[in-house]
Amino acid sequence: MSEGTVKTLEEEMSAVAHAEMGGVLKPAPGLLPGEIDSHPTPFKYVMIFLILVVVTAVEVATSYLEGDISSGLIVALLLFWALVKFVLVAMYYMHLKTDQPMFTRFFVLGAVAACVLYTIMLTTLHVF
Amino acid sequence: MTTIEQTDAPATQVDDAPPTDPTPSHGAGGDHGGHGSSATLTNGKLAMWLFLASDCLFFGAFISAYLLYRGRPQTGPTPTELFDIPFTSATSFILLMSSLGMVLALAAIQRGDHRRFRLWLLATAIFGATFIAGQIYEFTHFAREGLHLDTNLFGSTFFVLTGFHGAHVCLGILWLVSLWGMSMQGRLGTDKAESVEIAGLYWHFVDVVWIVIFTVIYLMPQPGT
Repeated sequence: MSEGTVKTLEEEMSAVAHAEMGGVLKPAPGLLPGEIDSHPTPFKYVMIFLILVVVTAVEVATSYLEGDISSGLIVALLLFWALVKFVLVAMYYMHLKTDQPMFTRFFVLGAVAACVLYTIMLTTLHVF
Repeated sequence: MTTIEQTDAPATQVDDAPPTDPTPSHGAGGDHGGHGSSATLTNGKLAMWLFLASDCLFFGAFISAYLLYRGRPQTGPTPTELFDIPFTSATSFILLMSSLGMVLALAAIQRGDHRRFRLWLLATAIFGATFIAGQIYEFTHFAREGLHLDTNLFGSTFFVLTGFHGAHVCLGILWLVSLWGMSMQGRLGTDKAESVEIAGLYWHFVDVVWIVIFTVIYLMPQPGT
């Protein structure tokens, strides 16, 4: 192992020790910790909000179609619109689109675990 | 604050680095998912995401309980008789507006505009309080119509689910107001923007939970209708 390599390894260990001792390693300029890309601009936030408002309006309108189309189709459409809103808020307002993928993994793990667990429970209890 | 920094090159691969290259692997961060920039992870943000993941299971339990007893024969008022969809749509819209306020507050503090930051933060808290006022009105209306926590299974599951969500919103409002107070005292500089982001994560989570509750509880056709 050469001297240069040893130096790099020492720096690596020193940085880890620094972190473990409560030191702060600064993120890249202009970005918050955990960000890998810049957050959306205020204009984009407003655009996302307008999309959310339109989707909510469509969702409420869909619920009033009861009796005109089958309940199964209404449920499917409502779940789809809710999923669209959920994903938009999580990706843009909670910044999962621009933050480290690890955060997405945590959140998706929790959400998917909840869906799977309770779907199994409700199916077992003959709700569906 | 303890910070963990991730790099693409694990410590075990450092031996493969050219001996003449003294550049430390810390600082600028590596290339993550095609983007080269900050690679730091703070405990606060990581803890909030873990909490939110666990809260998915928390709310999932109450939503499942509601679905489990939905449509079962029972005495007392039913959802069809009580729900006022236009009113709840309006309160949902207000909660969406609060989410917009929250991200605009974060954007403001990130660019150092503290006056707008306080304005948007206060607006977010007021929108949240308006949502809670709407929920209190709804609960009072339901109680007048004869639906209480112990009236029937619908009452129990509905009040517990929406009540816990309301409690989350109240906690969020307290958090926002405390941040606003800190900013007024000059204790929340641009370097503390991450604190605002973490509060924002909590606030948006409350919003996404309401998106699910609004759809599943209020909008889905009731069995037998």
